[in-house]
Amino acid sequence: MDLLPNDEQTAIVDAVKEFLVGEAPVDRLRAHGEVGNPDAALWPRLGELGFLGLGIAEAQGGAGLSSAEEVLAFREYGRHLISPAILALTLAARVASAAGLLAAPELLAGTMRAGLANQRGPADLRAGTGVFHLIEAKGAELIVAWDEDGAALFRRDDFTIEPVRSTDALVSLERGTLSGAQPLAYLSAADDAIHDRARLLIAALAAGTAEGARDMAVDYAKVREQFGKPIGSFQAVKHRCAEMAIRTEAAWSLTAFASLAFALGREDSAFMATSAKIVATDAALKNGASNIQVHGAIGFTSEADAHHYLKRAHLLDQLGGDLRRQRERLLDMPSAL
Amino acid sequence: MDLDFTAEDRQFREDARAWLMANVTREPRPHEGRELREYDLAWQRKQYEGGWAGVSWPVEYGGLGLSLTRQLIWFEEYARAEAPDNHLCFVGLNHAGPTLIAKGSEEQKAYHLPRLLKGETVWCQGFSEPNAGSDLGSLRTKAEIDGDHLVVNGSKIWTSHGHLADFQELLVRTDPDAPKHKGISWVICDMTTPGMDLRPINIMTAPHHQHFVQVFYDDVRIPLSNVVGDLNDGWKVAMSTLGFERGTAQIKDQIRYAVLVERMIEEARARFGGNSPLSKDEIGSRLAQLRADMAAARAMTYMVVSRAQAGIQGSEASLMRAMVGEVQQRARRLALDIIGPDALENPEDDDRVFYYLRSYSITIAAGTAEVQRNIIGERVLGLPRG
Repeated sequence: MDLLPNDEQTAIVDAVKEFLVGEAPVDRLRAHGEVGNPDAALWPRLGELGFLGLGIAEAQGGAGLSSAEEVLAFREYGRHLISPAILALTLAARVASAAGLLAAPELLAGTMRAGLANQRGPADLRAGTGVFHLIEAKGAELIVAWDEDGAALFRRDDFTIEPVRSTDALVSLERGTLSGAQPLAYLSAADDAIHDRARLLIAALAAGTAEGARDMAVDYAKVREQFGKPIGSFQAVKHRCAEMAIRTEAAWSLTAFASLAFALGREDSAFMATSAKIVATDAALKNGASNIQVHGAIGFTSEADAHHYLKRAHLLDQLGGDLRRQRERLLDMPSAL
Repeated sequence: MDLDFTAEDRQFREDARAWLMANVTREPRPHEGRELREYDLAWQRKQYEGGWAGVSWPVEYGGLGLSLTRQLIWFEEYARAEAPDNHLCFVGLNHAGPTLIAKGSEEQKAYHLPRLLKGETVWCQGFSEPNAGSDLGSLRTKAEIDGDHLVVNGSKIWTSHGHLADFQELLVRTDPDAPKHKGISWVICDMTTPGMDLRPINIMTAPHHQHFVQVFYDDVRIPLSNVVGDLNDGWKVAMSTLGFERGTAQIKDQIRYAVLVERMIEEARARFGGNSPLSKDEIGSRLAQLRADMAAARAMTYMVVSRAQAGIQGSEASLMRAMVGEVQQRARRLALDIIGPDALENPEDDDRVFYYLRSYSITIAAGTAEVQRNIIGERVLGLPRG
């Protein structure tokens, strides 16, 4: 038993970190502007480095690693507020690879774009019907959707699309309706628990987002002075930062544990994946809010990055069902002791 | 990262589970008094005789000398079997014993360690004082050398089960002129020594529930050979054992509480299941959140043990402790909300109200929640001291 990365995993994390620090620092978002996301340029480069197929079998063109390596990478994406299109690409590549679609190699290479379809009302993926939010789907050829029964790939053209303004303005958002479209590929949950894998990847993004918010708040509390002292020396601020650290420890420890349970196919893997999504998105939401508070007035402006963490946390919470829905699901599961 | 256990570890788990299944006592645990002492010692004795006491303790003192992983497995199975929490043995097994292992003389170890494992002696703590709680380093109970003895005068407070204990781990000031953390010594105090006066302190669980004593020392003579480690080095001696089990003992609590939450879910289903699904109820939502938080507490404990295995020294265990304190209190509160108006009754044979009221100590004992957060802020996050 060991929840710390081994040497091989540390090498993967270091490589992802090095890439993101150089190519995707959080201040790229300010330089880019207030609307839209600059990350599409990253996908071919991540594909070249082999990061888009970490958890996909080598025979299908992936790296043949497990959900443990995937969550390690996604935690870093979360820290850097990487576009949730990274989740779309990872899930779409999985569905496409399983179905042997011609698009699979292009998705793994990052040369084909994919977006997410997140349910905002009733849907039937096999029948190709339902109402969704399309996330990061502008300019994407493929759109991936999932529910408890399985995951489906659609073409963007399959949806009737209505533009809306996104709360997280760094992410493109549209409403999309399917009225009887045949999925390009469908992967049943009975063959691949992709919904729990999605929960883990979202949990990892949320854990990383929570850590990014914690670090931003702590860094500021060390340098911002009032009453002649750094505000981090005041217990009211120090304890708020400590709470942020407690939540990130809970979020990451559980996400790591759950990814291992999932990789081993343990009986408790669904329970742990659902718990991880709950604890990690809760941490991201609360740390997003605390980061704004620690920054004071500047935290409330669009000139500081604090608001991005909060808005991203809300988006991650909604993906695949929010806290309320995850809690309902968890309560209905058998005990995992 | 892995959740692997070796074939030998898995066999150890099977053996532990089988033994616990056959041997865990189902008699309810008394809340106080001599009956409580006899109950806890009898259970410890049974574990020793079964060959399960002191899993990670050195073999030469009666332990099994096994790895941290085995210790973790033992505690997991212990909690899953719902074995009683022999709290009277806690200070001895988790605090005094490990301190002696780390810093005791051969004579001290040979005398005390086997007795602890065999369930023959109860230890209590003598650290806090009326004016030295969170600020423990300000303790003033003094000990002066007189020949081959220390002569102790002063007072200690918040000594859990002091009236039921045989020995006390006592921190005294042996050099009043040294800086505050430098003049302290760690001493073994026999509770039958003349000059000790014990004042009982009842706790908030019920009017007659005694738990603590305050101890007054009036020229109490303790042999110098009872000093553990060097004279005036007591602060370091006390700190040396913090985290001896390196988190493994915590797993017992995490699983115990996870079992409690499962029992609460069963009860809530039985009570509210008739009308609408529990998941649509506010109670159901809180139960689900607790389920997730209990899973997180367990994972955080694994993280603490993982860091210990890797030899990483730091204050990160405070993160886990701060989390579980809050979650455990929330669980005890929810247990009351499930029973509704019956929470106004506090019967002897129903633990819910007792443990709810008792849970207020969780964020105070062994470092308040506020002290934990200072440690996290300053030692984990590197924020400036106030």
